[in-house]
Amino acid sequence: MNPLLRRGWFDKLLMVGLCLLALAWMGPLLWVLALSFKPNEFLLTRTDVFLAPPYTLANYLDILQTSSVFRWLGNSALVALMQTAGVLVLSSLAGYGFARCEFPGRKFLFAVVMFGLAVPAQSTFIPLHHLFSDWNLQNTFAGLILPGLAAPFGVYLMTQYFKAIPIDLEEAAMLDNASRLKTFLLVILPLSLPAQATLGIFTFLGCWNDYLWPLVIATKPEMYTLTRGLASTQTNFAQSEGLGFLMAQAVFAGMPVLMLYLFFQKHLITAVAGTGR
Amino acid sequence: MILMRLSLLLSLALLASCGQRQPEDGKTEITLMRFFGSCEAKFGQINKAADGVGECGIVTTLVNEFNASNTDGIVVRTQIGEWGPYYDQLTARLVAKDIPTVAVMHESALGDYVRRKLVLPLDADFARVGIDVRDFTEHAQRGTTFEGARYALPFDTWAWLWHINTTLMKKAGLLGADGQPILPRSPEELVAQARQFRARTGKPMFAWAVANETAANNRTFLTLVAQQNAQLFAPNGKTIDMQQPAVTKALTLMQQLYAEGHVKPNLDYAAANQSFLNGEAGVVVVGTWTIDQFLRESQKPESALNGGYAVLPFPQLFERKAVFADGYAWALFKGGAATEKQHEASLKFLKFIWDHTAEWSRTGHLPVSRKVAESEAFRALPLRAGLAEITATGTGMPGNVPTQRAIELLIGEDVANLMISAKPVTEVQASVEKRVNTALQKARR
Repeated sequence: MNPLLRRGWFDKLLMVGLCLLALAWMGPLLWVLALSFKPNEFLLTRTDVFLAPPYTLANYLDILQTSSVFRWLGNSALVALMQTAGVLVLSSLAGYGFARCEFPGRKFLFAVVMFGLAVPAQSTFIPLHHLFSDWNLQNTFAGLILPGLAAPFGVYLMTQYFKAIPIDLEEAAMLDNASRLKTFLLVILPLSLPAQATLGIFTFLGCWNDYLWPLVIATKPEMYTLTRGLASTQTNFAQSEGLGFLMAQAVFAGMPVLMLYLFFQKHLITAVAGTGR
Repeated sequence: MILMRLSLLLSLALLASCGQRQPEDGKTEITLMRFFGSCEAKFGQINKAADGVGECGIVTTLVNEFNASNTDGIVVRTQIGEWGPYYDQLTARLVAKDIPTVAVMHESALGDYVRRKLVLPLDADFARVGIDVRDFTEHAQRGTTFEGARYALPFDTWAWLWHINTTLMKKAGLLGADGQPILPRSPEELVAQARQFRARTGKPMFAWAVANETAANNRTFLTLVAQQNAQLFAPNGKTIDMQQPAVTKALTLMQQLYAEGHVKPNLDYAAANQSFLNGEAGVVVVGTWTIDQFLRESQKPESALNGGYAVLPFPQLFERKAVFADGYAWALFKGGAATEKQHEASLKFLKFIWDHTAEWSRTGHLPVSRKVAESEAFRALPLRAGLAEITATGTGMPGNVPTQRAIELLIGEDVANLMISAKPVTEVQASVEKRVNTALQKARR
């Protein structure tokens, strides 16, 4: 018998409710996908269509024929991966320090880091831009990557996670003459992989989708990230005269993340569910 | 396994990021920052401006033609900025000393850059390379001249128009014997026509973008105020005066039109155009840039506009003929040319644009050269003859009003409230005055 049929009426009702919510959530995404295969001229007069013809691949071909698009894709991948790696390293080290090491001013320093959580990113935008401009980091990968490495959420998450790991494990390793670094690398770090995965996913997605910072720090087409580059190709009235192209851009920009999800599905679900390995 | 996959992705990304383009030997490279989007796939390989279509197509082919035809070894590298955050990006570039050699700007935004001494005065250069400034139209002169000096090469004038479905107008009894729409000559006539239109067609007379954008509301409001000869801003540009009869009349008319159902409700830009193209309203109030597109649609047999499209300047409802207008212009920035050779190259490029300014008029925008505006070729373009007067009657905010684009936004927001949520006229007047004056004071600090 189907396991679903064996469940109680409440579970079934809940399942139906969840399916309806999922459909409601997916509705706009499917609409975007459908419109991306329609000619722009057609969408000038009709946007209430879903599966009905006409269809076209022209919007996707226009994207692919933009000479820099694969370079932007590469830039985005590089920046997102480097930033994710940097955040993981720095947050783990800082989190371990706050969770396990005693040093003067630790609580104050932690409070300063936590304060960073309360400061909106937009409020630091202008000074950050001045700083990076003064350092001549405009149109460089360093300029794109470095600002994202300051991740108060990551430090907080890793600190809390390390605090929850029983100290006995660490003490046992140290009794076996393991150094602090060795204990961290070989005992504590492997235990923190679920938290690392969660942090990595959110950092990667945040960086991949980031538009505002690349907008001001990357001004040469060869340094654009995908979001920035695709936006630059939109005409002035894209929402009206280039709607199909706009929708195709949205699908194209989301595709690598979707593929990443398909590759690492098991790990991602485990990480987000927070159930450990 | 995960690490291997990550390494593979990283390697691919690094490979993809290799191969930066370097300037070719002996060439003088200048950078051109612009909006209008990218259409490399369609026009990237076309080197003849006459073959360009639409804003993006024409500007792309103009640059291509210059790159292909100039004999001085000048290469123009286009850097495209997004429409929405264009000026944020431009300002960020100026701060970072990553300055474009040439950039397109709205004439309404140019003043802020002139006052901050960021753009170069060009009179002497224009005279030297043979750009005759006496040929600039009145509106182009006003838009690019500050305290007697010209700071940019005008590219076009764009203005606020009535795009009209003449089939529906005929049904409403608002089409003359000559086949031309009968335009209202006063606010009372306008309301009467709108009521007649609704009664005979069952549709609202107007569609214009009232939601999710502020430009349309602001431009209609400024047009109505300008037609009453009212001065919205103090002569020094430091304050706005909303407590005057002309403002009350303009706002009352707009509110009445919306409240009585003569403007299709809650439409944004795309929806307003869409409803007009589908024959759901008689008039869409929007700019010059849609002429080409609407014209193409009207030639399709299945279109609601087929055989029934006209376009005219926003009608004169008060004592003065005036319509909101702005324009695009090409400016050179201080520090944008690292060498004298680059500066000369950018001037040669401007001269080329000026010599080909007629091409841009095909977009629907109005010419900035008197000769082009009066030419047979321009007047022969469909529907343009009735619009040429705007090159003289077009009006915007005075050039000494700072942060004009922010002020347009503030006005447009409150006018949207007036229409969509019936905010009382007196409250709108007070609110706009307070917010705009605060913005003007901040801009002066």
